[in-house]
Amino acid sequence: MPFRLADGVQVRRESWGLLFYRQADHKLSFVRSGDWLRPAYFNGSWGLESITGDIARRTGVPVEIIERSLPPLASRLADSRVISNEVR
Amino acid sequence: MKYADWPLSAPVNITWEITHQCNLKCAHCLSSSSVASPGELSLDECRGIVDQLADLKVFEINFGGGEPLLKEYFLPLLRYIHTKGIVTCVSTNGTVLTDEAVEVFAGSPLVNVQVSLDGATAEVNDRIRGRGTYERIIRGIERLAGKNISLSINTVVTSYNYAQLDRLKALAASYGARLRVSRFRPSGRARESWEALKLGPEQLRELSGWLSGEPSILTGDSFFSISQDGRRHLGLDMCGACKMTCCIDPVGDVFPCAFMQSPEFCGGNLREKTFKEIWDNAPAFRYFRRLEPESCKKCPRFENCRGGCPAVAYFLSGDLNSPDPECLMSWSRHTPQAI
Repeated sequence: MPFRLADGVQVRRESWGLLFYRQADHKLSFVRSGDWLRPAYFNGSWGLESITGDIARRTGVPVEIIERSLPPLASRLADSRVISNEVR
Repeated sequence: MKYADWPLSAPVNITWEITHQCNLKCAHCLSSSSVASPGELSLDECRGIVDQLADLKVFEINFGGGEPLLKEYFLPLLRYIHTKGIVTCVSTNGTVLTDEAVEVFAGSPLVNVQVSLDGATAEVNDRIRGRGTYERIIRGIERLAGKNISLSINTVVTSYNYAQLDRLKALAASYGARLRVSRFRPSGRARESWEALKLGPEQLRELSGWLSGEPSILTGDSFFSISQDGRRHLGLDMCGACKMTCCIDPVGDVFPCAFMQSPEFCGGNLREKTFKEIWDNAPAFRYFRRLEPESCKKCPRFENCRGGCPAVAYFLSGDLNSPDPECLMSWSRHTPQAI
């Protein structure tokens, strides 16, 4: 299931990772993801598998390590209501 | 959090004073607004600045002044900003609303409107904002209410109105709006009214307690240094100037924040430099990012406020390395039951 930004959320890249902004309450989420995550991953066309593959290809990090780390991070972002994998 | 661990490539939000023209002459106006400044930016220049901010992915622009609705191109500029997906907040005195303005506000999910009101009664409000303004502001709020506009009423908390905060909250709620309270700071015209309008230690203590019990009240970054820990998660725990925010004035000068618009703090002018050049390289901005008042570092609450508001410290003591004189530790010396 592809991820997308939740409604009213914007994201930008920073040197340390991604900065999410939620319009409803003007809250920020600082995600120290280094070079792993890119804003484009949340445009509605990337799922866990394709993101994992892309990170592995770009960074050389073994897929197993990414597969252990990425789902919990995605869950936290979903819990924080900055991303969603619900069908719009 | 420490800014050094999370440096930002651009501000999260920007305060943009689009004009110094204002039809009111409030006693606490942070920019001493009344008439437009010579050489205020043109619409084309503003669009160019917006393009830069959009490229940098600045999330929010907060408009103030002056009265932004008196700027002849303000609504076209607002529409242009919304085409870029940038969230806006318009701070208005509510007295010069037009049908077109209301229509623009109601038509965009990206705009928040904040109407300034400094008392729950005409007697209190008009002492600060001018005779007859209470009725005019309320009429403005009535025009905005019920139109699916994200609406708040903003009150600068002063000795005149702090006893009316509960009534202001109820007043805002009656229009489907939220109350936002802002800190009174000694900049602009407020330097002249500081002694009369500032809160005393006992009033600061009461305000701090009230804020702790009122999580629905909006404060922006106004009160992190005078609030007790219960409210910290609702806002910043440090001054955001040059770290998360900055201020553009009507002629394109860029300052650390709206309350620090003295020439010595100017980072540069947007007619001469790009916004990114100023944000990254201006000596004043680099200085502010490192600023941590020496005298505060041994304070047990240092991690909670990192020195508080430098604008208040500077304008009262002339020294950026001074602690915020209204911080919780300062007024607690006069009201020992506070902590």
